[in-house]
Amino acid sequence: MENRVEYWVKIPIGPIHPALEEPEKFIITLDGERIVNVDVKLGYNLRGVEWIGMRRNYIQILYLAERMCGICSFSHNYTYSRAVEEMAGIEVPERAEYIRVIVGELERIHSHLLNLGVVGHAIGYDTVLHLGWLARERVMDLLEAIGGNRVNYSMNTIGGVRRDIEEKHKRAILEMIKYYREKVMPKIEEIFLYDPTVEARLRDAGVIPKRIAIEYSAQGPTARGSGVEKDVRYNEQLGVYPDLGIKPVTPKEFTGVIKGDVFDRMVVRVGELWQSMELIERALDQMPEGKIKAFPKDNVTLVRLKKAEGEGVGRYEAPRGELIHYVMANPGSEIPERWKMREPTFPNLFAVARALVGEQLADVPVAIASIDPCLSCTDRVAVIDAKTGKKKVLTEKDLLKASIEKTREINPNIKAKPEPVGGSCGGVR
Amino acid sequence: MTPEEFLEIILTKFPNVEGEIRENKLPHPRKRVWINVERENFKDLMKLIKEIDPKAQFSIIIARDGGDYLEAKYHLELFYEQTPSISLIVGTKCPKDDPKLPTVTDVFPSALPYEREVQEFLGLFFEGIPDPRKLFLPEDFPEGVYPLRKDEKGISSGMVKNAGHPYKMKKEG
Repeated sequence: MENRVEYWVKIPIGPIHPALEEPEKFIITLDGERIVNVDVKLGYNLRGVEWIGMRRNYIQILYLAERMCGICSFSHNYTYSRAVEEMAGIEVPERAEYIRVIVGELERIHSHLLNLGVVGHAIGYDTVLHLGWLARERVMDLLEAIGGNRVNYSMNTIGGVRRDIEEKHKRAILEMIKYYREKVMPKIEEIFLYDPTVEARLRDAGVIPKRIAIEYSAQGPTARGSGVEKDVRYNEQLGVYPDLGIKPVTPKEFTGVIKGDVFDRMVVRVGELWQSMELIERALDQMPEGKIKAFPKDNVTLVRLKKAEGEGVGRYEAPRGELIHYVMANPGSEIPERWKMREPTFPNLFAVARALVGEQLADVPVAIASIDPCLSCTDRVAVIDAKTGKKKVLTEKDLLKASIEKTREINPNIKAKPEPVGGSCGGVR
Repeated sequence: MTPEEFLEIILTKFPNVEGEIRENKLPHPRKRVWINVERENFKDLMKLIKEIDPKAQFSIIIARDGGDYLEAKYHLELFYEQTPSISLIVGTKCPKDDPKLPTVTDVFPSALPYEREVQEFLGLFFEGIPDPRKLFLPEDFPEGVYPLRKDEKGISSGMVKNAGHPYKMKKEG
């Protein structure tokens, strides 16, 4: 046993990655190709948001919350507003709830398309990345038309939304859904459900069994890919979602089996793209006329919140999983006593770290990318030989090369005939 | 199981516990169970919750500096396969001169990263925690400084320069 220990190699992956929304470091202990242990270290980009939040008022925190993540900016905003609304007992107009559903689902489409592309990139299928990013432009343009910005669109305010969805936006949304249904989804389904190379590469990689997903409380598509049927929109009876007929999506409806691997997580994302489009259509159909804000101006809201006491919890299913915000009032002050939030990536990271034990090093990029913290663009990896103490630096290129080589090994034809899947996806720009 | 039934089970087993159900005013009213428990009974209560629903999901620890005490609130979700599920918040307190709570990592293994976070940010320590290393803060962060505390052990103004204002920081070099 002592001899074996000498051959163990520790490789730190991280902490800086261009595609990460929060830099993190994975210290991976290897025995040959097999992973023996994974340790996670966080906090390389700790911005002290909670500390800053205890010095700002309720309205200012809205914009701070939104900037925590570039991709789920609406989700943070919405969850925080819900927490404050629950704390102060503010009633939200029904039309505002429908607009929140529409913007939230548009954001889910945008986030899932990004992640599907990133996973394609991690296995060397760059056409998938370009297909995803090209298709994503359309929904980002639409979000710009509705909210005024491509990211951080500040749609939410406490007690409603800031901008209305007008008739021209409605037409544009329906047009976009038609485009996705006809042009994008068939290609994405072809790649992620029926392509033999993708299946061989993603099946049995980064398996999270149902037991571990429950034990480590995995969230979102990571949990649903393992067969845990939970979805905050459904469990919590969130907003107007129950009126739209929400149900958790599991891979069973598409492939008939649940294995809890990367493939299943991708299948859940494909299913959720279909679901989001359906939800948007129904929401547009059922949306009533009326007010979009409980209070006309922000200072009115602040006066009301100054008198509030108690505490509130907001929960929402962000594209990556359950998001929680907690707000405690400080009566007589416009600054909350305590504001605390939890991102879905936090438990998911520990679940995937546990699941990586026993897997191969070549599966690390794709397994970590599949929970959507985008670690696939692994920047620099220093390999330290525990025996001699020598250091060798692997770049992003080397790690991707190892991953692409594994794909080639499984299917040698792919090099000779790279199917241009995104080629005919024109007509977007 | 409805929230009312769940609260009744808790209150019969632990008569000293304060528990209530609050409802919000959103389009679909949502009930949440809020429980406050003494430090002595806290661990047993968590074990009882795990017995009631073995699949209960541990979501978050919200810890806070309340002046002369430190407070920790645990959000849990029970029966998430039925709808609506039970959203439960268990709160417990400890005095500031004895900032210790029992760990729940043996009942809910996913609580470990949250407990490590509370330890380094608020100086609220968990007895019997299997991995007490720092998670977010760097290893060379000064000992005995807890950023989210409001007393003299928190961050002093000398340690913070223009927090949240990168423009000003740049200007001063």
